Amino acid sequence: MNYPVWFLPAIGGGTLIAFIAIVHVFVSHFAVGGGAFLIALEKKAYKEENKEMLEIVKRFARFFILLTMVFGSITGVGIWFITALVNPGGISFLIHNFVFGWAAEWVFFVLEIIAAFVYYYTFGKMDRKTHLKVGWIYFISAWMSLFLITGIIDFMLTPGKWLESHTFWTGFFNPSLFPSVFFRTFMSFLMAGVFGLFVLSFYEKSAAKEKFVKYSSLWVIISIILMIPFALWYVSVLPVEAKSLVMGKSPTIVITKQVLTYSSIAGILLGAIVYLKPDFNKFFVSLIIFLAGFLIIGSFEWTREAARRPYVINKVMYSNMIFENEVESLKSEGFLKKAKWVSIRNITDENKIQAGKEIFIHQCYACHTIGGFNNDIKERAKSMSYTALARYIEKIHKVRYFMPPFAGTKEEAKALAAFIAGDLLGKEVKEPESQKLDGKTIFENNCSSCHEVEDFEDLISGWSKEKVRKALDMLDKLNEEMPPFEGTPKEKDTLTEYLLKISGGEK
Amino acid sequence: MINNLIPNPDTIQVSWIYFQILLLLTTPIHFFFMNAVLGSAGIASYLHFKKDEKAKKLAHHIAIFLPLAVAFAVNFGVAPLLFAQVLYGQFLYTSSVLMAVFWISIIAILIIAYYLAYYYDFSFEKLGEKGKWIILLSFVLFIIIAYFFTNNMLLMLLPETFPKWFKNMGGTILASSDRVFLPKYFHNLAGAMAIGGLFVALISCFKSKKDKEIADYGKEVGLKTFFYFTLINIEFGLWQFLTIPGSIRRGLIGGSTSGTVVFVIALLSILLALVFSWKKNLKLTAIFGLTALLFMSFVRDFVRQGYLKDYFSPSSLKVVNDYSPLVFFLVIFLIGIFVAYWLIKKAIEAFN
Ligand code: HEC
Ligand code: HEC
Repeated sequence: MNYPVWFLPAIGGGTLIAFIAIVHVFVSHFAVGGGAFLIALEKKAYKEENKEMLEIVKRFARFFILLTMVFGSITGVGIWFITALVNPGGISFLIHNFVFGWAAEWVFFVLEIIAAFVYYYTFGKMDRKTHLKVGWIYFISAWMSLFLITGIIDFMLTPGKWLESHTFWTGFFNPSLFPSVFFRTFMSFLMAGVFGLFVLSFYEKSAAKEKFVKYSSLWVIISIILMIPFALWYVSVLPVEAKSLVMGKSPTIVITKQVLTYSSIAGILLGAIVYLKPDFNKFFVSLIIFLAGFLIIGSFEWTREAARRPYVINKVMYSNMIFENEVESLKSEGFLKKAKWVSIRNITDENKIQAGKEIFIHQCYACHTIGGFNNDIKERAKSMSYTALARYIEKIHKVRYFMPPFAGTKEEAKALAAFIAGDLLGKEVKEPESQKLDGKTIFENNCSSCHEVEDFEDLISGWSKEKVRKALDMLDKLNEEMPPFEGTPKEKDTLTEYLLKISGGEK
Repeated sequence: MINNLIPNPDTIQVSWIYFQILLLLTTPIHFFFMNAVLGSAGIASYLHFKKDEKAKKLAHHIAIFLPLAVAFAVNFGVAPLLFAQVLYGQFLYTSSVLMAVFWISIIAILIIAYYLAYYYDFSFEKLGEKGKWIILLSFVLFIIIAYFFTNNMLLMLLPETFPKWFKNMGGTILASSDRVFLPKYFHNLAGAMAIGGLFVALISCFKSKKDKEIADYGKEVGLKTFFYFTLINIEFGLWQFLTIPGSIRRGLIGGSTSGTVVFVIALLSILLALVFSWKKNLKLTAIFGLTALLFMSFVRDFVRQGYLKDYFSPSSLKVVNDYSPLVFFLVIFLIGIFVAYWLIKKAIEAFN
């Protein structure tokens, strides 16, 4: 509402961020761990006075430079660009609060680049000790970048004491900083091992290669194992809501966690086999290990992002760039009155749909596409009528924690419902004629967002009338995801009748 | 209406002056490298198309430095973009969203152009004649990037065009139709070619021990490029000067003391740089050329503030005092300078 929205209805901003972010985190962690990996390989080669090994290190360094300098650093800028385009309000808030953290990170970025170039171009031209020192400067700078960025990223998830003090340091040293930094450090070593195996699979067979393959597989195995305790520590410091999302309340996170587990197991097993039999590190095997690493990072980052919902900065700003502390006044005074970047200030019958569209763009588009494959609002709302939607929208955050509260008046909720139900879904937009509620209406208003009528044939098949009636008093106890039903006893009776009817009658 | 669109800025932690100083210090460094990239890629393309061994050797020499220059152009672009977002975020984020498709495409284009530069460098011999197409493509891509950058830097200054968003939310609004655009773009490009010439002359010095002929040739080509493109650029500069809003123009010629002083210093440095490049004095050309670049970047900032004066001034940003992060940054910065110095010293030792 403060910023314009880059509106691509069928694509959605989240997809764009994910697209760049996934490749970037992969390469940027490699850029950190790979530094340590190179030093370790180089030392090993010196210790054994092995020229062949040194040749491999040099080749690997070239690959490293080409990948991290170009792809790594430019996609890093890319993340910054894309998040600023998709969520300028969030980025602006972070930049203004942590500008000097970023500025310090930039200094390390400069050092990283200089050190990387010096390391690569002086390979074999510099005395060994100094060359290794240059490698160390590279690694320390890269790690410091990771440390600083992690502080800011994790501030978004666990702002902790910042919420009271609003100072840079409390925000930076937030509860999840340290578990996250350790976790990411091992993740970066994992990436080094994974890339090591992958690149080595292309090299011609030699004794030196065999040694490095064994060595790389050790990096893979040990890193994965060491990541586990820090992952658990990480989860333990999450705020209650995020923890419950991670621990099972969000179905998608549950799937992601399975991916994480299986990829880790695959990584460890294949790593162990390759360690015992370096010959086995063929292209396809290394590719599978590579993919396992990719999935580990991907599902971790995905979970971290998803656990933050409905916020972009926990307890501060919602995903749709509305500050938490603004919601009350927007509810009472009206979103359209207070927002920038809307053209309609007063809702009339003629402009209702258009007003609803503007509200959708500013409040829902952050997570919902229109007709896209990702969280399509048309798909999600298809079972809901105009009146059901209007009521649902008003209590959206209460029913579904992972969505921000609706920041607007009743009138505005109706306009939004009119846009979704009328314009997008082609349903009738009509105020209910009588205040008297029949079972169907109560169902539509309260249950249709999650249940289809047909579901009840199975859901309550065989239930007695008393059981159904009693269930309505304790829906939230039956299933964690379900909100309690707040109707009057009379409405509950009516709904009971209706439910029994649609389930095919009391048995 | 327009004031109703400009987003409310966030608060800052230290006085805006610090950000302004940091912005003014880091921007010209970025400009130098960015110009070096564009200009030297252009010069290398030109040289490679010439059927002449000496020219090809110089192109090869440029090829080695081009990827390094790209890395530093990007790297030193991060800092000014950061500080610009702190001071002018509400304008910059908005204009970026308005032209989002082009703005984000810069990333893809840059990756390609950068890899082409590396390809041109690492496979110079192998590529042979084909190399000229590679470097030309890279050069063209950099020109396209410049086009989008110029667009955004202008669009952010034109809040009166922001309402276009209501008709086009897809992120394809540009500022190219503004009358200042063309002179600004040409001024930037010609300036980049000139500084690129200076860069080529400077890096040719590294060759003076091993291959005197190429070193001299590089110096000659570089200084010539600097001279002629600067000469042309005086026209583009004048064109831009005449198209910018009158109030800003008057500020540069007496209306504002600070504006006039930086403008006059910039102009004088250009004149001196022209004279010395004609006389083939590389050292003095470099000194005055870079001074001109520095002061022109100040002039640019003055013009920016002039554009936004009616809507906003950075001094109006709300400050919630928290100076310790600034101190932290400055300490890191000093350490960084020291370490960078050590690295470069060791590298030079290794090569000698
Ligand atoms: C923070 C992200 C986010 C925002 C913002 C958001 N939603 Fe959702 N919404 C979701 C997710 C995720 C789901 C799907 C949950 C699932 O997998 O079933 C969803 C589901 C829905 C559903 C389907 C019913 C349900 O409860 O599952 C409706 C209707 C809906 N959203 C409407 C809206 C409207 C209207 C807005 C704007 C006022 C909005 N959403 C804003 C994330 C969001
Ligand atoms: C926010 C989503 C949501 C809403 C709103 C909701 N439910 Fe549910 N409900 C669920 C989920 C999830 C389940 C688990 C079974 C499933 O997946 O269908 C469930 C299960 C049930 C069950 C079976 C419980 C059991 O023990 O097997 C009943 C009965 C039920 N819902 C009734 C209702 C009624 C009546 C309403 C409206 C007053 C309602 N629900 C509204 C999400 C919801």
